[in-house]
Amino acid sequence: MTVLERLTALLERDFGIPKASLDADATLESLDIDSLRLIEIVFAVEEEFKVAMPQDQGEIRGRVKTLGDLAELIGELAAK
Amino acid sequence: MNRVVVTGMGVVSPLGNDIAATFDALVAMRSAIRRLEGPGTERLVNRLGAPVMFDPQPHFDAAKLRMLDRVSQLALFTAAQAVRAAGDPFADPARAGVSIGTGMAGAQSADDAYRTLYADRSDRLKPFTVLLAMNNAPASWIGLEYGLTGPNLTYSTACSSSAVAIGEAARRIERGEADVMIAGGAEACLNFGTLKAWEALRTLAVEDASDASASCKPFAKDRSGLVLGEGAAMLVLESRERALARGATILAEIAGYGLVTDATHITRPSVEGQAAAIRAALADARMDAQDIRYINAHGTGTQANDGVETAAIKQVFGAQAYKVPVSSTKSMHGHLLGAAGALEMAISIEAIARGVAPPTRNLRVADPECDLDYVSDGAREVKGLDAVMSSSFAFGGTNAVLIVKNS
Repeated sequence: MTVLERLTALLERDFGIPKASLDADATLESLDIDSLRLIEIVFAVEEEFKVAMPQDQGEIRGRVKTLGDLAELIGELAAK
Repeated sequence: MNRVVVTGMGVVSPLGNDIAATFDALVAMRSAIRRLEGPGTERLVNRLGAPVMFDPQPHFDAAKLRMLDRVSQLALFTAAQAVRAAGDPFADPARAGVSIGTGMAGAQSADDAYRTLYADRSDRLKPFTVLLAMNNAPASWIGLEYGLTGPNLTYSTACSSSAVAIGEAARRIERGEADVMIAGGAEACLNFGTLKAWEALRTLAVEDASDASASCKPFAKDRSGLVLGEGAAMLVLESRERALARGATILAEIAGYGLVTDATHITRPSVEGQAAAIRAALADARMDAQDIRYINAHGTGTQANDGVETAAIKQVFGAQAYKVPVSSTKSMHGHLLGAAGALEMAISIEAIARGVAPPTRNLRVADPECDLDYVSDGAREVKGLDAVMSSSFAFGGTNAVLIVKNS
């Protein structure tokens, strides 16, 4: 499974976001992911992928506009 | 309606154990923010804090101390300073009360108790755990200390708790329901559990690579979050008439109080809510924007707050927003949560007394959204500095704004 596939599975399983609406270009905004939901997702991602996401929320939000961006960031951190 | 004045002030802050030392440090742009040391701190990702240098031993006997969480120690210490400065203000204790704001109150004692239970696997908690940890302990201990039988109140509205406590106490004196109130806030939140909880919310500042003390950067493009601080500040409030009659020194007048709740989001601040609270405070004070000579901003250093707060000031002040100095002293003393409003009110009163607007530290490149005069190059003498607005905006959405003026 790719990072994006694992991520979409996680979002469906833990956050009830239907897989049909989850593609790489889907923006956080279009998925109704606000600042608090994003922090929950970051926490879940850290557990699932065993990575340490940036502590600075602004840095994450600056970098991650879409699901694809999030998958890319996870991939980079996992490779470290 | 009575006019409400401040006749005593007590402060224990990360910058010093009275208002003079605290304000001197602000003027010198000295930051109390540091990397926390001690057991467990290596498990923190965000290790920053602004601790108070306070030794309780000389101030309380051992038996009493066993009943006092650090938050109550700081509250009692500052109440004593304020009462001393006000010169025996409690002629009729039945007409005197206490109004305290705190966000987390006895969090240290709760954390200690959980460690005993879950980490040490002991089933024996300290006998006074409830008394240490309960939210109203700081206010109750102050009331007991001076035998005050009027209202004894604790407000908990997160970061605006003590601004609310001062505003609500002022209302009671305005309406003649009490003659004198000790009003302020106390917080002692630098325990492992609380720090970890804030860390998980990802609102804490990342340590500055070259200087830990410069990590809180309100209004800056590179701001990364807030830094938790501890401390307390207390005011003695009474009617102007009574203060004059008993020959008390009047430090300032509480001129306005605005209280408006966002009711839009549990954490995200709203321009409309903040602006409405500012407008309400101005209306209560019967003042216009141009009467305000300095704004002590909420200015947490988080992405969410500083842009919204700037927009709210601009919405109410219009062109005047660019003329009034605005600063966030949190850049140096950190965010005292429930005690923030009270400490910043004390700083605002001292700003009037000295005719000096304290600066915002660590603001090198401003966020384009943040385009006001943040006094970033050092403390500034301001001619005619006779009225200050102090803002406190909270998680949960309770926005409280106080205006204080020369009396």
